Amino acid sequence: MTRYIEIAQSEFVHLVRSPFKTISLILFGAAVIYGCQNGYDLFKTHSNEIISIQANNDKSIANMILQYEEIEQGTIDKPRRDPTIPYWAVWSTPSHAFKYPSPMMVFSLGQSEQYGYYKRVTNWSTIFDSDLAEEIANPERMAIGTLDFNFVLIYLTPILIIILLFNIGGLEKDLRFDNLIYLNNLSKERWLLARFSFYYLLTVLLLLMLITPYALFSGVLQSASLEFFKLLLIISLYLLIWYTAFFFINVSGNGSSDQAVKMISVWLVFCIIIPGAIHQISSLKYPTNYMTDYLDVSRDQSNKIFELPSETLREELLKAFPILQTTLYASDTSVNKAIINRSLSGLVNMLNKDVARTIEWSSEKKNKFIKSFSLLNPVIYFQNEINALTDTDYYAYKRYRSDIQEMIDIKINLILEDTWNKVTVDKEKYIQYVESFKKI
Amino acid sequence: MINIILNEWKMLVRNRVFIYLTIFFVLSLSLVVWMGINQNSAQQEYRNKAQRHVRTQWDNLEAMNPHRAAHYGSYAFKPNNLLNSMDGGINDITGNVIQLEGHVQNEIVYSEASQSLSISKFGKLKSSLLLQYVIPLFLIFLAYGSISNEKETQRLKLLIFQGIPMTRLVFAKSLSIWIYGSSLLLATVFIQSMLIRSDSEVFRRLTLLVFSYGSYYYIITSLATYFSARLKNNTSALSAILATWILWTIFLPKIWGNAVEKIHPLPSRMAFKAAMKEERSKGIDGHNPSDKRREELKNKYLTEYKVDSLQQLPINFDGIVMQEDEEYGNLVWDKHFGSNYTILQKQKGLYQVSGLLNPFASLQSASMGFCGTDMIHHLDFLKKAEDYRRILIKALNDKHAYGGSKTGDWGWTVDSTFFRSVQGFSYESPKINDQMNYYLIDILCLLWWGLLVTFMIKLNTNKKIIL
Repeated sequence: MTRYIEIAQSEFVHLVRSPFKTISLILFGAAVIYGCQNGYDLFKTHSNEIISIQANNDKSIANMILQYEEIEQGTIDKPRRDPTIPYWAVWSTPSHAFKYPSPMMVFSLGQSEQYGYYKRVTNWSTIFDSDLAEEIANPERMAIGTLDFNFVLIYLTPILIIILLFNIGGLEKDLRFDNLIYLNNLSKERWLLARFSFYYLLTVLLLLMLITPYALFSGVLQSASLEFFKLLLIISLYLLIWYTAFFFINVSGNGSSDQAVKMISVWLVFCIIIPGAIHQISSLKYPTNYMTDYLDVSRDQSNKIFELPSETLREELLKAFPILQTTLYASDTSVNKAIINRSLSGLVNMLNKDVARTIEWSSEKKNKFIKSFSLLNPVIYFQNEINALTDTDYYAYKRYRSDIQEMIDIKINLILEDTWNKVTVDKEKYIQYVESFKKI
Repeated sequence: MINIILNEWKMLVRNRVFIYLTIFFVLSLSLVVWMGINQNSAQQEYRNKAQRHVRTQWDNLEAMNPHRAAHYGSYAFKPNNLLNSMDGGINDITGNVIQLEGHVQNEIVYSEASQSLSISKFGKLKSSLLLQYVIPLFLIFLAYGSISNEKETQRLKLLIFQGIPMTRLVFAKSLSIWIYGSSLLLATVFIQSMLIRSDSEVFRRLTLLVFSYGSYYYIITSLATYFSARLKNNTSALSAILATWILWTIFLPKIWGNAVEKIHPLPSRMAFKAAMKEERSKGIDGHNPSDKRREELKNKYLTEYKVDSLQQLPINFDGIVMQEDEEYGNLVWDKHFGSNYTILQKQKGLYQVSGLLNPFASLQSASMGFCGTDMIHHLDFLKKAEDYRRILIKALNDKHAYGGSKTGDWGWTVDSTFFRSVQGFSYESPKINDQMNYYLIDILCLLWWGLLVTFMIKLNTNKKIIL
């Protein structure tokens, strides 16, 4: 143990005396801070935008309540979109579905820049609407990618490790005094292991020191402490894998340059070539979906529904929504076109849900294909694990789409039940509508 | 000089590892080019199928009111440029489908990146990935020891003693490695042009690509050789060139990319939509009969046709209102989308300026641009799709107004013969000659770097400094 401490001490001296390594460490630290700050900025932007939309919604709700009071008092006429009719009342109930950012977003932007995070939901909405497109951003900047902590950890930390380690054991070979060291009753592997352990601890501690303040600022430690500890575990494991790979390179290395060339080649293969190859193969196997099935539903199949006679539509609605059978309109034999027309979004929604299932299923097949390469492609595995922890991966947005769908379903059920029961919406009923969306 | 280059090549060819690596590179590049072309063709076929599907639906529309057809609308699917197989540029992260309908200019949606888990941060394994990352790194590995090895073995003194000027030696070593990199580049371009249907436009683009990559390889090999000559040993030379490479390819593009977005910020989606909604509300609302501006337009037409009521008009006033609504909307879209496009182009321009410090940024920008997969080409597609939307909606509104129906006759329909007569959307990528002004700065930056490294070698590698 004493010997290990001595080796660590001399390694510290070696590090401090190497300007290239110390500058790299400082630059790396700056990159970690810059990456976390980028994540923190996006987290704040998303949170503030959501708060601003919620404030607008509250204003709109207050205006609607005032309008109901004025209609009830008879001081104003009913507008063109009569809010006493359930359809228009539900339509006028501001209901946004939000993808609330996790404070862990500070550590990984993941795929958050590829999706929208708020959506005004109506009974005609779908989970593939164009207003769910990502924030307006420069596509070239997005293609280059953002320097977030995840990127720093996954791609830059191995480079830092290369800078720190490329001449460990190599310098002695370059200067041809390596055999002198082994004369000191120390095996080559143990000597390298001790030196590697020093750098391993150094990088892990450095990362911990730099990310903990961000965890404190953004509220991670209060609301996502478990995820934070999982992140620390992933960091330790990920770095251990790189250190292990480089250890074997240095054990069999023939000098600093030889080791540097091998290390950077390993980095290139695991960080650029393998992920790129899997990306290309997955695109060959699963080409980009142009969503024609969904487009067909939103145009052709919806149109076909609109073309059907009211009697048929009434039958279809009763079949699709059995709950309607006990309503007032169901017991009425006459056909009320207004009621039917206001209920059509229910049938279209059924079609949309069916096609959404197919699309999500095909995306899931592609994801399974990507995941099947995890062993061969550990870098991307870790990248996606961190994205999952920070709630910024594909599945986080899939869950968000489920929330949107749930909200659409609630809207439609409210419209159908109250329209078919011929309810007249007043202030109290409107407040009930508002409350029903707050639960999501 | 030629003798030194030939001598360097002889030494390289004698090295078996070098030969194996070259064979490996040529095979890899061929495989990657082939895979890229296959993937591109499959995607393009899929895209054409989608576009045909949508057109068939349009051609077979049942009789309907033209305004309803405007709501039914159409879709434009973004095509892949032939050279997308070489450099995908921004195509993986931008949307691919844009809805073309009445009343609104939609945004392009359904990007590949949003349809699965994240895979590669550096893009698909296309030839550009190898040409931008792998080959320069290999050239670095070949060049970093070119002079320092000679110094370490004391052979350099011998060479100088034989009368070889130091500068010439450095240039010759650098050029011999550059020729190797350029050969791999030319092999890639040759395979690419053999496997795709090449025309003069493709050749022009490929020539520009060869120039851009060739310049970058010259910069990287010259700089590595320069470090090799100036720094005291192999390790220092390798450390310096690798640090430069990391800075150029990993750090600076991301940091500067983020910075330009902060210097020229884009509006948030919410602010963008709210501003358009606000301005749009000042125009005619085609669907609101009690709209005041509609009244003004009505009076104008009644006076023009010298009639007292809309029913007496020989045309359908609803169609007129819809087109007026569109014209106003178009002004709003042009202003706001136009403003965004201007900001995006400013951002691109500012990013390209970073080429003065980072030739890799210029290479990346030029590569995407010459392959037709950068933002300029993307914006061109969006503009052409919007132009088509306007033509389509105007044709429908004109039919609605002047096709023989009367105001308020929403039951009036036109049959599929009319719908078929409306041209479908077709898109051709712009010619590179017309777009060169966007990429001039990239070329100039690469030339600037080429000159800089040449002067660095010329001025700082004489024998007094090196020995």
